[in-house]
Amino acid sequence: MICVVTGAAGFIGSHLAEKLLDAGHTVRGVDKFLGNYPRRFKEWNLAQVHRPGLEFIEADLVDIDLPALLDGVTYVFHQAAQPGVRSSWGEEFGEYTHNNILATQRLLEASKKSKIKKFVYASSSSVYGDTQDLPMRENGMTRPVSPYGVSKLSAEQLCYLYWKEFGVPTVSLRYFTVYGPRQRPDMFFHIFMRAHRRGQAIPIYDDGKQSRDFTFCADIVDGNVAAAEYPGAGEVFNLGGGSRTTVEEVVRMVEQISGKKAKLNMLARQQGDVRHTAAALDEARSKLGFNPRVKLYDGLAQEWEWMQKIGD
Amino acid sequence: MPISQELLEILVCPKCKGDIHLTPAGDGLVCEACRLMYPIRDDIPIMLIDEAIKLG
Repeated sequence: MICVVTGAAGFIGSHLAEKLLDAGHTVRGVDKFLGNYPRRFKEWNLAQVHRPGLEFIEADLVDIDLPALLDGVTYVFHQAAQPGVRSSWGEEFGEYTHNNILATQRLLEASKKSKIKKFVYASSSSVYGDTQDLPMRENGMTRPVSPYGVSKLSAEQLCYLYWKEFGVPTVSLRYFTVYGPRQRPDMFFHIFMRAHRRGQAIPIYDDGKQSRDFTFCADIVDGNVAAAEYPGAGEVFNLGGGSRTTVEEVVRMVEQISGKKAKLNMLARQQGDVRHTAAALDEARSKLGFNPRVKLYDGLAQEWEWMQKIGD
Repeated sequence: MPISQELLEILVCPKCKGDIHLTPAGDGLVCEACRLMYPIRDDIPIMLIDEAIKLG
């Protein structure tokens, strides 16, 4: 089968593309190589994916001939996005509307006339915002606290709308803080491990007691494949790691893995940051058979190992 | 890994959405209407208007 993976040179897209290629599918990868972090990281990701069955183009989804791209395609995995909560305020918001909302709408529009069996959209736990209502449930309140979260929620709503109005078989997956090898260099674990490796102080925003439901990349990939094969559509699922951990606990684990003590630099809480996240996984477990397998300590060890490989 | 014919067939000029063709050297995709060449680097067609090379 032919699968389209948008954001195929990115953190999650590259892992997903690899998994699909290894399962014998053809992967039509698209990536814009957004300048949100150095290009060499994405090129490194892509080099790992490179194998027979991969077709890859560097392009902006808004500009290319999407009906042609979807010709003969069975599954669309829409992973491409302008990431980052903190950078989504102010002037930069135009990038978020273009890359997160408009690109998704164009892809959905093209999907109307295609014969795709599933359009899997990579949404985000940031759609929930700073709720006191934990764990976060799919039918709970969505009130993002960052423009990024607003853009992801908008695109998710478009996915639902195209299902309802035109029968495009969409499923949205709300990812909870994904980590693992190839993690973006602007994400906390990456920043933390990089600094720790060099013996530098680690910036910790807030007091370190904030917690996240950290999810290993391979589990997210499995969730995507399960969503593609899921017979239903027009639905939303949380994909979380299954346990909530504080940033402080993560620091302790990395100290154990690396065998050295971390230096911490406590900084003020950032605008748009959510205090706690925790995913209710009942829906994903019962309908998708989703079952996060990788424990945080093991996943962190894998990311640490990768970090040694890519060097500085 | 060479670019597959199938992939080449689905690509259009991102500016005018018109047809493009491979250069004889295989190092780019040309849109005659816009007089732009989209480079192919490491077997990856770069279909970005900003990256396109203006043809004389």
